[in-house]
Amino acid sequence: MKFRSIIGAVALTALTAGTASATEIEVQYPYAHLFAETYKQIIAEFNKAHPGITVKMRAPYESYEDGSQKVLKEAITRKTPDITFQGLNRQRILVEKGIAQSLEGFIAKEADFEKDGYHKAMLDLGTFNGKVHGIPFSVSLPIAYYNMDVLKKAGWSKPLPKTWDEVIELCQVIAKSGQDVDTMFWGWNITGNWFWQALNWSRNNSMLDKTETKVNFNNEHGKWAMRTFAKLVKECKMPNYNLKEAMGNFSAGKIGMYFWSISALQRVTNDSAGKFTLKTGPYPSVDSSGGLPAGGNAGMLLAKDPERAAAAWKFLKFATSGRGAAIVAETTGYMPPNKKANEVYLKDFYAQNPNKFTAVAQLPLLREWYAFPGKNGLKITKVIEDAMQSIVTGERVDEPDQVLEEMTEKVQKLLPKTSS
Amino acid sequence: MSTPEAIYADEAARVSTSAARARARYQLIATLLSAPAVILMFLLLIGPVIAVFLLSFTDWSLGDAEFNWVGMATYDEMVEDDIFWKAITNTLIYVGIVIPGSIILGLGAALLIESVTVGRSLWRAIYFLPVMSTLIAMAVVWEFMLNAKFGMVSQVLGFFGVEAKSWLQEPDTALPALCLIAIWQALGFNMVLFMAGLTSIPRELYNAAEVDGVRSAWDRFWLVTWPLLTPVTMFVAIITAIRSFQVFDTVHVLTKGGPDNASMVLVYQIYQEGFEFFRSSYASALTMVFLAFIFLLTLVKVFAIERKLHYQ
Repeated sequence: MKFRSIIGAVALTALTAGTASATEIEVQYPYAHLFAETYKQIIAEFNKAHPGITVKMRAPYESYEDGSQKVLKEAITRKTPDITFQGLNRQRILVEKGIAQSLEGFIAKEADFEKDGYHKAMLDLGTFNGKVHGIPFSVSLPIAYYNMDVLKKAGWSKPLPKTWDEVIELCQVIAKSGQDVDTMFWGWNITGNWFWQALNWSRNNSMLDKTETKVNFNNEHGKWAMRTFAKLVKECKMPNYNLKEAMGNFSAGKIGMYFWSISALQRVTNDSAGKFTLKTGPYPSVDSSGGLPAGGNAGMLLAKDPERAAAAWKFLKFATSGRGAAIVAETTGYMPPNKKANEVYLKDFYAQNPNKFTAVAQLPLLREWYAFPGKNGLKITKVIEDAMQSIVTGERVDEPDQVLEEMTEKVQKLLPKTSS
Repeated sequence: MSTPEAIYADEAARVSTSAARARARYQLIATLLSAPAVILMFLLLIGPVIAVFLLSFTDWSLGDAEFNWVGMATYDEMVEDDIFWKAITNTLIYVGIVIPGSIILGLGAALLIESVTVGRSLWRAIYFLPVMSTLIAMAVVWEFMLNAKFGMVSQVLGFFGVEAKSWLQEPDTALPALCLIAIWQALGFNMVLFMAGLTSIPRELYNAAEVDGVRSAWDRFWLVTWPLLTPVTMFVAIITAIRSFQVFDTVHVLTKGGPDNASMVLVYQIYQEGFEFFRSSYASALTMVFLAFIFLLTLVKVFAIERKLHYQ
C-alpha cells in the first residue's frame, strides 16, 4: 500500500513536471557530414517559431542502413525517437512492421496543406497502403556530370548527350583522343538498386506488377534496361570502381562523364574546383512518359503519445516546408521536394547555381524509390546488385538477357506469395 | 549394553557421516565459488546460443512484434541457397590457404630469427607488429596497397610485367588477396608461438643427434626440431583455423563479400543476413552452422592436444 502510494506520488510529479515544462521531442537523422549544418539552422529557426517545444537531437545515423537497423532494434525495447529521418526506400519496412504512424490524421487538420507546397508527387514518395506515412525532407535525382575539359580536348562540338547512344558515341570520341582518362562511370552501385530503377523508370517500367507478387522488369523495357547497361559497360570500357574511387577519380579529372546523384554535387564541385570545368546535364534517354527515382530521405513520425506526436508533427512540417525546406537546398546538394520552397524561397538561389537547377528542372519526373515488399525485401536488392555486378566485372557483359532471366527467377522466389 | 561390534558399527557410522558432511560442505563451497562463473556463462553464452537456436526455427525478423514457428523451413532454404554454399566453400578455401601459409612462414621466420645472433628482438618485434595493430586500420592500408592505379603491389608486379588490376574487385583475385592479408597478420603470432616451442627443446637432443651422426641442418630439423614441435604445431594449426573461420573485419572493410559473392565467407553472410537484410531467423540458422564448425575444431583440439601428441 505504502509502496503503491510512493509510485503514485512519483508518477504525479513526473506528470506535472511534464505539463509544466516544454514538450520535448527527440529527433534522429542520417549522414551528419551532409546534414549537421542543415539541422542546426532548422532547429534554430524552429525554436524561434515554437518556443514551447524542445528538440533534442540524438546522435545521427551513419547511413540509411544504420538508420533502419537502429529503429528496428529500438522498436523492440520501445525506445524509438519521436521523429526519424529514413532513406526513401527504407520507409516501407517501418510501415509494414507497424512502427511508423500514419500522418493522415494530422494532414486532415491542416487548413492550407497544399498551399504550403505539399503536392501529390511529393507525398506519393511517403505513401503506403494509401496513407501518408513519411514526408520527404531532401530528395535527389540522377543527373549527368561532365568534365568539360575532357570533352573539349576530345573535340566534342555537339551538344551534351541526350540519349545513351550519344553517351556511347562520346565515350568513343574520348577514347580515340588518347587522353589518360576513363571515359565514363555510371552509378550502378548506388544503394537500393537506384540506377536499375532509374533505367526502368525512364521507360515508365515498374519493378513489380500491381499485386506486388510478380516481377515486372522481365518485360521488353527491362530487357532494354539491362542491355543498355551492358552496352554502356562494354562500349565505354567502364571501370569497376567502388563508390569512393569513382567519385574521387571523377573529381580529380580522371573520368570524362559521371552519372550519379545530384546529392554529390556540392562535394564534387568543391573537390574539382580549379582542376576542370564541371557541368551538369539532364539524365539521358528519359521517355516522355517516363520518370526517375527520387533518392534522399523522409521524416517519419514514431511517437505514440498524443502530446509528443502533436509536437513532433509541428517539427516535421517545419522542416519540410517554407524556410525549413529552403535551408536544405542552401546547405546541401539535395533539393527540398516542397513546391513552394523551390518556387518562392529559392528562386534567386537557383538562378545563381545553374548546376543545382539541373535536378530541379527534372522534378516533374519524380518517381518512387521502390522498396520490395516482405521479409526478403532487402535481400532482393542484393540479388539485383549481384546480377549487375556480374556485368560490370566483364564476366557476363555479353549476355544481359540471361542475366536478367536468372535475376528475375531469383527475385521471384523471394517475393511474398500473396499481396499484402 | 553394547557389544564391541555395535560400538564399532556406531563409530564407523559416525566417522562416515562426518566425512560425508565434510564432503558435502566441500561440494557446497565449490558450487558457491563457481556459481558466479557458471551463472555468467549461462547468461552470456549458453542462454544466447539457446535463444539463437530456437530463433532459427521461427520466421522472426528484426523489429517484428510476433513470430511463427516454421520448423525446418529456414534450414531447407539454406540448403538451396547458392550463396550459403559459396560462403562455406570460400571459408574452407580461406582456412585451407591461411593455415599452411601462416604455419610455414611463421615457423620459417621463427627458425631464421633463432639462427641470428644480432638484433633478434628487433626482428621479433617487426614480425609481431601486424598482430599488435588493429586489423581494420591495416585493412585500409592494404586497400591502398592493392589499388590498381597507385597501389604498391600493382606497381611492383607491374615492374615484373604483371598487368595491374583492381585486385579486390576482381572475382578471381578477391579471395586470394584476403588470404594474403590474413597470412601476413597471423604470421607474427604463429612465429612467437613457434619461438616459445623452439626454446623448450632440450639442447642435449641436438648434441645426441650430432653424436649419432646427424650432420646437415635439414636432418637436424627433420629428426629433432620438427617432431618435438608437433604439439606446438597442432596448437597453432587449431588456433589459426578457429581465427580463420571467424574472418570478418577484412571482408567487411575491403570487399563486402563481393564481387558477386566471390569473397563471401560464413561470418560475413551471417552479418549480412542479420543486420543488412534483417532476416534474423536465417542468420540464426547460419550461426548454428558456424557454431557446429567451431565446436568440431574445439573437439579436435581437446582430443588431439590432451592426448599428449608429443615425444616427451
